[in-house]
Amino acid sequence: MSHASEYCKPGEFKPIDLLAAAAAREVNDGDVVFAGTGLPMLAITLAQQEHAPNAVCIYEAGSIDGRPLHTPTSVGDARCTYQASKAAGLFEAFYGQLHSGTVDLGFLGGAEIDKYGNVNCTVLGDYNHPKKRFTGSGGNSDICSYAKRTVFIMVQEKRRFKEQVDYVTSPGWRVKKWPSGEWVTKQEVYKSYFKGGVSTVITDMAVFRFDETGEMYLDTVHPGFTVQDVIDNVGFKLNVSRVSGQTLPPTKKQVELLYQVIDPEGIFLP
Amino acid sequence: MSQPKKINLAEAAALVQDGDQITFSGFTIWRRPVALCYELIRQRKKDLHLFEVQGGFHSDLLVGAGCVKIWEGAWMGQEMLGKIGENLARKQISGEILVDDYSHGHTVGRLMAGALGLPFFPCALAMGTDIFNPEYDQLAKAGLRDGRHRNIPAKKYIMADDPFFNRGECALLPAVNPDVALVYAPIVGDEGTVRILSQSYSDAEVIKASKTVIVICEEIVPDSYLRRDPAANLASGYEIDYIVECPWAAHPTGSQFYYDADADFLKAFNKIREQKAFDEFAEKWIFGVKSHEDYLEKLGVRRLEELRASKISGYSSRVKRGTR
Repeated sequence: MSHASEYCKPGEFKPIDLLAAAAAREVNDGDVVFAGTGLPMLAITLAQQEHAPNAVCIYEAGSIDGRPLHTPTSVGDARCTYQASKAAGLFEAFYGQLHSGTVDLGFLGGAEIDKYGNVNCTVLGDYNHPKKRFTGSGGNSDICSYAKRTVFIMVQEKRRFKEQVDYVTSPGWRVKKWPSGEWVTKQEVYKSYFKGGVSTVITDMAVFRFDETGEMYLDTVHPGFTVQDVIDNVGFKLNVSRVSGQTLPPTKKQVELLYQVIDPEGIFLP
Repeated sequence: MSQPKKINLAEAAALVQDGDQITFSGFTIWRRPVALCYELIRQRKKDLHLFEVQGGFHSDLLVGAGCVKIWEGAWMGQEMLGKIGENLARKQISGEILVDDYSHGHTVGRLMAGALGLPFFPCALAMGTDIFNPEYDQLAKAGLRDGRHRNIPAKKYIMADDPFFNRGECALLPAVNPDVALVYAPIVGDEGTVRILSQSYSDAEVIKASKTVIVICEEIVPDSYLRRDPAANLASGYEIDYIVECPWAAHPTGSQFYYDADADFLKAFNKIREQKAFDEFAEKWIFGVKSHEDYLEKLGVRRLEELRASKISGYSSRVKRGTR
């Protein structure tokens, strides 16, 4: 990354810009990235435009290494396949790429998360009598279970960062082994199929990572927020002993790329 | 080996019986057989069992219209044009339909097993999640896994040890072989060869797994044209039972190189939160039009021209998708 003076000052960027920039930083050059709809699309594209030109993007509907000219509104969009190496289908995406162990990084969203990184995007309340329904898993659960690293982009709210999520759509570091239902580590359930798991959670307030035991800790806090703000918006006892500092704001170049090149139509960005 | 029969929209919908298990081509808001779904609603189908890799406008529509008793799938919504399938959400919460959730890997695997004529598909995806929680198995709770329902397997899954390489447990997921596949494809040959022009989604597996296959298309062209480039084709005519020619059949979902997804239409549909609003929508766009041609006339030339895709890029550059 270039000279610090290029970082935006407060007021020169919107919260969503910082989110996209922080998410883009999680992409290593050369990563095979499996991304979901929405902000993940912005993040992977931003990374490809800057420090990770050799990162490859797979969308679950079957486009492999596409280079869209226009931002897709759907992972099944015609725009995803522009200049793709392959226009395949879901079997290729989920088995030919994901189950085969090819995917380095997953980029996902979720409605609720617990301290072990279990994510809910299915229902609120008891599944047998739900109070609210979300989309359901789609590829969320598959990608989170099988990518070597997974980044979740979420909204920071106490009701979303819970001691226990209402429904485990995607597996974190401590999960239930079915059909018995006993709590064990992810490694114990996946055994030889284990590839990795959730590595990072990025919200509108902070960046979280997971320690050696699979528990979430606070890593960096975004400009304008304090550690206490984050604690106040987490529903479980958060480990704040490893805070490494403030989240870097986006650079001016990143903001320009986001608004002029990646999403000039205002599909995701305001 | 026989060639598919050419029929009309009403005849195609009449092939679907109340209680049938049906599945669809496409992905969320792309290449969905919407005109056929509208016709199923006009014909007042009921108790349908939808198995789909994931839902979208077409199936949230069938749910809203009260045609569906069971929905098995991995996801329901319209992506950035309406994240949650509001009709499924409403009817799952009210208990009007049975919903059983899977992951994409699971639904794709189940369909592939059906396509290959195998009894189950082995898979290690999404283990440790509530998808495998026996307390949440809605079809078992409803007493439907008793072996008396031809499309419902005796178990949702089993975990099985690897007998060959001792790699540990993975899930075995039962095959699915739907009664009828409703497939939208842009181009079909007069002998039934099917061509699509972009990602294949799960369309090949949908065709192979299903007992009866209806393909609704933009245009029927000479098969000899499609046979000039066999590598570009998705399915052979003898795998297809019926063809319906029906331009704009996927609207408001998109069809690459023919038309874009209709963002305004989809967003408006996604604002529906109660049955009354759905019924008004259905009256306007389904019951209130006499035919598919009537529907297109109601949409208007200007709207359709905006959606029409570039023959070069495969999508429209005239359609307004965002806020700028």
